[in-house]
Amino acid sequence: MDFELYEIIQAFGDGLMKGSTYALMGIGFTLIFGVMQKINMSFAAVSISGAYASLAASILFPEVHVFVVFGASIIFSGMIGYFVYLCCFKWIPLANPLATLMATIGMLFFLEEVVVHATNGMPLPYPAMPFDEYFEFGQYSVRGDLVLIFFMCLIATAVLMYLLYRTRLGIATRAVAQQPIAARLSGISIEKTNAGTFIITGLLGGLAGAMIASTVSVLSVLFFLPVTVKGLIVAVIGGLGSIPGAIVAGLLVGGIEEVALLLRGILERDIYIMVLLFLFLTLRPGGIFSKTFQRN
Amino acid sequence: MKSSLLGGVAVAASVFAAMTLGMSSSAISGERTIHIAGFGVKTGVVRSFGINTEAVLKAAVLHVNSTGGVKLADGSTGKFKLTFYDDRCKAEEGISVVRRIAGTPAVIAIGPTCSNVAEPLFGILQKKRGDASDSGLQMPIFTDTAIKGGLAKISDWAFRNVPNEANMYKALFAWLRTEHPNLKTVFGGVEQDFAHSRFTWHKVMKVAAPAAGYEVVGEAKWLLADTSFTTQVRAMKKANADIISISSHPFTTCGLLKEMKRQRVKPKIIVGLTSSSSMETLTGCGKAAEGIIIPTSFAPVTDAARFAAAKTAEQGGSTDLHSASAWENVMIIKQVIEASSVDAKADTVQADRGKIRDGLAALKTTKGLIGTIKRTAEGEADKPFVFAHAQNSQWAVLHDPAM
Repeated sequence: MDFELYEIIQAFGDGLMKGSTYALMGIGFTLIFGVMQKINMSFAAVSISGAYASLAASILFPEVHVFVVFGASIIFSGMIGYFVYLCCFKWIPLANPLATLMATIGMLFFLEEVVVHATNGMPLPYPAMPFDEYFEFGQYSVRGDLVLIFFMCLIATAVLMYLLYRTRLGIATRAVAQQPIAARLSGISIEKTNAGTFIITGLLGGLAGAMIASTVSVLSVLFFLPVTVKGLIVAVIGGLGSIPGAIVAGLLVGGIEEVALLLRGILERDIYIMVLLFLFLTLRPGGIFSKTFQRN
Repeated sequence: MKSSLLGGVAVAASVFAAMTLGMSSSAISGERTIHIAGFGVKTGVVRSFGINTEAVLKAAVLHVNSTGGVKLADGSTGKFKLTFYDDRCKAEEGISVVRRIAGTPAVIAIGPTCSNVAEPLFGILQKKRGDASDSGLQMPIFTDTAIKGGLAKISDWAFRNVPNEANMYKALFAWLRTEHPNLKTVFGGVEQDFAHSRFTWHKVMKVAAPAAGYEVVGEAKWLLADTSFTTQVRAMKKANADIISISSHPFTTCGLLKEMKRQRVKPKIIVGLTSSSSMETLTGCGKAAEGIIIPTSFAPVTDAARFAAAKTAEQGGSTDLHSASAWENVMIIKQVIEASSVDAKADTVQADRGKIRDGLAALKTTKGLIGTIKRTAEGEADKPFVFAHAQNSQWAVLHDPAM
C-alpha cells in the first residue's frame, strides 16, 4: 500500500500521545530498579488493579467527577504498591535476586486472577476523559483526550522529578539507590525508603492505569500482560534506572509502534519493537542516555 | 454378657436393616444417576463464557430432573448429575480435562468454550467409529460454544450445536442488499489473533459480502489485547465505506466503536461478530454500539427461549448466542438417551457412550429454543437465527429470516 508522508507523521504523532502512558509504566519499573536493583514484575498489574479499584469505587459513588475516579486509582495503586512491597520484598530474602523476581511474577498473576474472578473477565466501561474533543488541522488530527493525557503524564513526571531532586525524601531515595551503606550510616532508613519508593511508583502507576483505561474507555483484564511487557521494554530501552531514558523510550516506542502498524500491518507491528529492544540491548545496553556503551 | 450380646445383635440388625432399606429404596424408586460432564473456560479473560455455560447447564439439568427425569432402557428413571470442569481456554488443559472425564462414569461431555481447544481436542478422539486400529478416546463430545467452522468432521465422536456463521452472514448480507440497495461498499475490521474472529472475517464475511454484490474496499486488523485503534479507524475513514463489518469480540469491538465515534466515522450500517451479540458488548459500550447489526441464533423471542433465559438467570448466568446452546444440548441428550436404550449402569458406561454417539449421529433435526435445528452428516448444526440490533443498550430483533 502507498502512504503519504502526512499519514506517517500523523501515525507517529498518535503514537507519541499513546507513548506517554508507556513512559509512566517505564518510569515505574525503572525507579524501583534504580533504588533496589530489583525488577518488580507486578508493577503494571498494580497499576491496572488500582484502576479497577477506582472503578469499583465509582460504581459505589456514581456521582463523583471523573478526576476523582482517577485520583482514587492513584491512591489505590499506592496502597497496592505498598502491599506488593510487603509481600514480595520486605519479607523475602533480598540477597537472592530470583526470589523477589519470582515473587513479583506470582503477584502479577495473583492480582490478575483476583480481578478476573471479581469481574468474570468481562470488560467494564471506564470513565473517559471529560475532554473528548477531536481536533482537525487540515490533513492532521489529534484526539483531545490524548493531548490531555499527554500533559497529565508530563506533569506527573515533573512532580516526580521535583520529588526526587528537591525534597529530603528524594535525596534519601537517590542516596539509597547510589550508596545504600553510606545512606544507612547517614541515618537513612533503607526499609522506609524502599517502602516509600513502592508507594510513589504505585501512585504513578495508578495514574498510568487510569490513563490507559480512559484512552479506550474500557477496563479489561487483557491489559495485565501487554502493559507489563510494554513497560519492561520501555524501561530497558530507556536504560534501567534512568527516568529521562524511560520518558524518551516510552514516547519512542509509542511512535514507532503506530508507524509500524501503518506501514507494515498489525502482525509485524510488535516485531519492530522487539528489534528495537534487541538493538539497544546489543549496541547500547545502558539505554538511550547511557554515557558509555557498557559492553565487554 | 447377655446384655452386651443382645446389644451387638441389635446394632448388627440395625446396620443390616439400614443397608437393606437403602438398597430397597433405590430399587423401589428405580432411579439411576446419569453422569454428564460440562467443560469450558472459568478462568482468565473469557471466564464469563464458562460461567454462563455452567449456569445454563445447571438450569437445564435441574429442569429435566424436576420434570420427570430421563427414561432409561429398563423403564427406570434417570436423573442427570452434572460435573463442570475448567479448561482455561487452553488446548493442553482441555485435552487433560477430557481424558479425566473419560475416566469417570460420565456418558457425554458438553464443551468446550474455545475453538483453539476444540480443534486439538477432537483430534484425540477416535476418528472413525469402530476403527479398532485407532486408540483415540471413544467419548462423545457435544460442543455448545466453540464456533470456528467445520470442526466436527475431525472425529465421529465430535458433535456440535453451534450456529453456522456462513449461512448467517450470507443471509444477512443478502437481506441488507435487499433492504438498502443503494449501499455498495464494505470495509472489514478483524481481531487478527483470535481464531474465531479471523476465520469469520476471512472465510465468512469477506466471502458473503461480495456474494451479495458488495465491493470489499479494505480491511483493518488489530489484536485481542489492543487498546488503541486510531490508525485502524483512520483507514476506515479514508475508505469511506457504506458498511463496516467488524469481526472481533466485545472488548476490542467496544474500543473500535468508541474510536469510530470519536473520529466521526459514520457508516450507514455496522455489522458485528456473532459472539459480540452478548451483554458484554452492551455493558462495555452500549451507546457506541447503538444500531450494530449481528446475526444470532439466540434471542428471547419464543416461550421456550424466555423460559430458558429465566431459569438460567436463577442460576446466576446469562443466556446468549453461545450459552443457550448448552440448554439445547441437555435436551437433545435427554431425547437421545430415551431413544437409544441407554442403561446408565456402572458397567455399561462405555456401551452407553457408544449408544449416545450413534443416537446423536442419527439425528436429522432437533428442537431448538427459537426453532427447529437441522443436523448435518458431519455432526454440525444448522440453527435458526435472527438479525439482532442494539437498541437503547438492549438487543432487539431487527429481522427474522424465517418469517
